[in-house]
Amino acid sequence: MADETLAPLAPPQDSRREAIAFLIGAAGWLVPGLGHAILKMWGRAAACFLTVALLVILGAGMRGNVFNSNGNDAFDRLGYIADLGAGSFYFVARSLETNGADVSHADGDYGTRFLAAAGVLNLLAALHAYEAARGRKA
Amino acid sequence: MIAAIAFKLSHLQAMLLFSLVISIAFGFLSRRQPAERVKYIAWSLFLFLLIGVGIGWAMYPFSR
Repeated sequence: MADETLAPLAPPQDSRREAIAFLIGAAGWLVPGLGHAILKMWGRAAACFLTVALLVILGAGMRGNVFNSNGNDAFDRLGYIADLGAGSFYFVARSLETNGADVSHADGDYGTRFLAAAGVLNLLAALHAYEAARGRKA
Repeated sequence: MIAAIAFKLSHLQAMLLFSLVISIAFGFLSRRQPAERVKYIAWSLFLFLLIGVGIGWAMYPFSR
């Protein structure tokens, strides 16, 4: 049986690097592309920012549903989690959609998907920035 | 207060825009070299459109 007291501890440098990587991932989630910008990956930073921004502007312009925390069912809550993935752009979407959602037409339905895709894409980008900051090949 | 913006897109326009934007993001995230990125974006866009139109036609017999 292995003696747990002899188990090697993670070097302090590794835990510091892990914490910095986590902060970079969080920054990337909060402001799309910021995580990559901190890592000086300018192309990826610009691509993340512009694609998430475009999806949010299109989604809100098509009067897609921006879910809030008072969801009635599991799909509403899932939609809220997906929308929140866009970080600060979630609030941009809310402020752009002054007339409220209209999913009675195909446009509104597509807009809802655009907004959810923006959130999920931003989460993917934030995870990518986190992995890159940890030193994984990215 | 921010002025309300409004877009009216057809089904095809929405699909094209969505495919293009997602393909660009995937290309930039998964490839490093510009030439590889362009190739990945073009291939990804082609597959998005092919599968989207394919699913559309597959549903056509059930539309009425």
